[in-house]
Amino acid sequence: MNDTSLFAPRRVKKTLPQKLMELNWLFVLLLVAIACVGFAMLYSVGGGSFDPWARQQAIRFGAIFILMLVIALVDLRVWFQLAYPAYIGALILLLAVEFIGVVGMGGQRWLDIGFMRLQPSELMKIALVMAVARYYHGLNVTQSSQILRLIPPFLMVAIPMILIMRQPDLGTSLLLAAGGVSVIFLAGASKWLFIGGAAATAGAIPLAWGFLHDYQKQRVLTFFNPESDPLGAGYQIMQSKIALGSGGMTGKGFLLGTQSHLNFLPEMKTDFIFTVLAEEFGLVGGLSVIGLYLLVLSYGMYVAATCRNQFGRLLAAGLTFSLFLYVFINVGMVMGLLPVVGVPLPMVSYGGSAMLTMLVAFGLIFSISLNRKLAIPRGI
Amino acid sequence: MTLTRVRVDGARATAMERARQRLVVIAVLFGGAFLLMGVRTLDLGLFRAVAETHSLSASATVRAASRADIVDRNGVVLATNLRTASLYADPKRILDPEDAAAKLVRILPDLAQAELLEKLRSSRRFVWIKRKLSPRQMWAVNALGLPGLAFQEEEERVYPQGRLAAHVLGFTDPDGRGLAGVEHFFDSRLSDVTMVDEPLRLSVDVRVQHALADQIAQAIERFSAKAGAGLVMDVRTGELLALASLPDYDPNHGGGAPKDALFNRASQGVYELGSTFKAFTIAMALETGVADLSSRYDASEPIRVSRFTIRDDHPQARMLSLPEVFVHSSNIGAAKMALDVGAQDQQAFLSRIGMLRPAALEISEVGHPLVPERWRDIATMTISYGHGIAVSPVQLATGLAAMVNGGDLFPATLIRKNEDQMSSGKRVISENTSDIMRRLMRLVVRDGTAKSADVPGYQVGGKTGTAEKPAAGGYARKALLSSFAGVFPMDDPRYLVFVLVDEPKGTKATWNFAGGGWTAAPTVAKIILRIAPILGVEPQKEDDGLFQQAAYAIEDSRRHP
Repeated sequence: MNDTSLFAPRRVKKTLPQKLMELNWLFVLLLVAIACVGFAMLYSVGGGSFDPWARQQAIRFGAIFILMLVIALVDLRVWFQLAYPAYIGALILLLAVEFIGVVGMGGQRWLDIGFMRLQPSELMKIALVMAVARYYHGLNVTQSSQILRLIPPFLMVAIPMILIMRQPDLGTSLLLAAGGVSVIFLAGASKWLFIGGAAATAGAIPLAWGFLHDYQKQRVLTFFNPESDPLGAGYQIMQSKIALGSGGMTGKGFLLGTQSHLNFLPEMKTDFIFTVLAEEFGLVGGLSVIGLYLLVLSYGMYVAATCRNQFGRLLAAGLTFSLFLYVFINVGMVMGLLPVVGVPLPMVSYGGSAMLTMLVAFGLIFSISLNRKLAIPRGI
Repeated sequence: MTLTRVRVDGARATAMERARQRLVVIAVLFGGAFLLMGVRTLDLGLFRAVAETHSLSASATVRAASRADIVDRNGVVLATNLRTASLYADPKRILDPEDAAAKLVRILPDLAQAELLEKLRSSRRFVWIKRKLSPRQMWAVNALGLPGLAFQEEEERVYPQGRLAAHVLGFTDPDGRGLAGVEHFFDSRLSDVTMVDEPLRLSVDVRVQHALADQIAQAIERFSAKAGAGLVMDVRTGELLALASLPDYDPNHGGGAPKDALFNRASQGVYELGSTFKAFTIAMALETGVADLSSRYDASEPIRVSRFTIRDDHPQARMLSLPEVFVHSSNIGAAKMALDVGAQDQQAFLSRIGMLRPAALEISEVGHPLVPERWRDIATMTISYGHGIAVSPVQLATGLAAMVNGGDLFPATLIRKNEDQMSSGKRVISENTSDIMRRLMRLVVRDGTAKSADVPGYQVGGKTGTAEKPAAGGYARKALLSSFAGVFPMDDPRYLVFVLVDEPKGTKATWNFAGGGWTAAPTVAKIILRIAPILGVEPQKEDDGLFQQAAYAIEDSRRHP
């Protein structure tokens, strides 16, 4: 490419203190606030005790928080260069757990890195968005909408998706794919592709319905009417809805939720933690937490909208979209808007994987924000 | 050079523009999703909360007797509350955890000492030690005089009849909220402070319930069946005097019961109940006027419709009169009769007698009937003998009761009706048709497939049903659902007894037959023998003249084939 020189990086080298000054501390604080909500809820679920959950969660948060700051301070070009290697690394790890799991570790899906256990599928969530963003960064607008150019990103999405589906973890693989596909959409692939895809999916539903067994249909129907099966599949959702309703305007008070004392809901420290929150802090608490997520995710979109380079823009938007899906699916599930699938509420639910994804993503978003005026050449 | 630059800038501009557009699409999606979450939170928190917060605040202020009792139709207590206390500890205030654990285990021997010690040593401020202690245990713990231990007063829901009528009653969670059965359905009524002193009176009679459950359990044992279900209904009011599903569970420990035991086969399970449906087909044919007692149907050849063949289980291979179609349980005859009635009228009739919608019973475990999506002729034919439609036993009993009680449909209920609530039911067939149905059903027991259901003096009438259970790709010939619906006394019907046996195996005594006539019918006979005296039905000599008309019709068709 001979016009590379026109877009040669404008040397706007910032020093470390400069970067630290420029970092948007308001949103860093909002992230800490979300994490603190998580600690409080885990303290409550633990029966008014830091052990066994809140303390562990706080230690993890401390470590991952530092990691986030480091990621934020590293130059975006480094992340640009690392996009493909990171993807390949994550793919190898996915293959490795698959292989080791088969050979004799009994279905091990994680790597132990000391203070937490890490699932390669979580790394892949970030790496996939990076790789697809990196790919589209190298294309101009006409190329982006060409059908044949869709093949590499399609493979990038499909390979890890199939590997994770084999684990088997349909929910995670669909979330992963959604993150990758959102980048393809943002990069400008033909809108008819997505309209057609949506139409084909909608068209396939009645067809697939005919192939389902009666009991499978029953499960889907249970989602629409949980009261029809209050002891089986509808149980969690009914209890969750009861708890959400019983909080009222300001809730029953911290540590006073009946759910947290009586082991009412299974998975309440992970998937159903929002229910505990809404029961103890009521409407005000629930809306506040939703508001917190809305704020930090809007910031991600704002960074995407104002970033001058394609890689940063796509990466910020793709990551924000992935996090948004986490939040929406979890909250929608506990409110009975979506079927029960095991998706945690990132940073509030107990567990390091979702927290890691969220904070690494925000580390990258902060890095993009610090480098938003940077021009990155198209091909390297 | 400038030219390239302009062009490139143009391309960059469109790229920017498109990316912005796409970002707006995603942003709108965001906004919509968050709006949805916010609205749903408000919806659940403000509008759905009313009943729930009400009952919660009620139970918080009035901890004594926070839930009304449940009694049977004669006032026998089925569910009540017991005051108990639950022991908890504040580990920070325990002076010597080891000593405390050792002493507590001596009083509460089912606790594990190591586990208890760990709890008492933890840094929490609140740990449950054991919930619901007996008064003696509570006294002993108090006598220890250990600091850091305290009691939370609680109420325990107890079901003094144990497993009896478990599926009717349901059970509650440890906080006394109903999770199943009438406990769940009437949760707000039972926990309403203003009605706590007024017990909820069910239509169930424990004596009848016991006889029913006991006989079904014996049938399951004798025929090595997988499960069973049954009910006893007052045909004049729709009240259920008993409703049982086996295997059952102990509602005192309802939360831990296996799913299979929690499943209510009598109201939640829907089954293709087979020939019992012929009663509806005949009533329908008589009612719409396409047939009368002298109508004949050619049952000499199986019917072939595309890839289906309809044949008889007890083939007579000749012309059959209408009573014979019923008495010999001819599928071919029933199918032809249904075709004469027509799909539309059949559908309307079945809908009128409640076969096409879930029973409006006062428990949450009510199954949805399975009905063909497109009501083609083949469906009309199979439904005429109870295949291709799956209904719950409660639905079937409700419909059958209307066939014999003079033609009035009363919705099945578990709540006792007072004299002033005795509404007249919804008329579904004429008194005359109902009269004929009584005689035909009596004939089935006198001369037909269900002789083993007869109880001298009680003039039992009824219809067997034997259905092959659906299996992958068709029906499993060896896995049967055998049922019998019996009504007594047939000259003035009072009660309907229905029994369903799931996958019975034939025994030597039944010559390895496992159909409804061999398994369910004798069970119904034994139940009637036990409950008739309790219910005050007096045995009477049968008036043979009642059946002459039907018997003549049969004779006639034999003489002139």
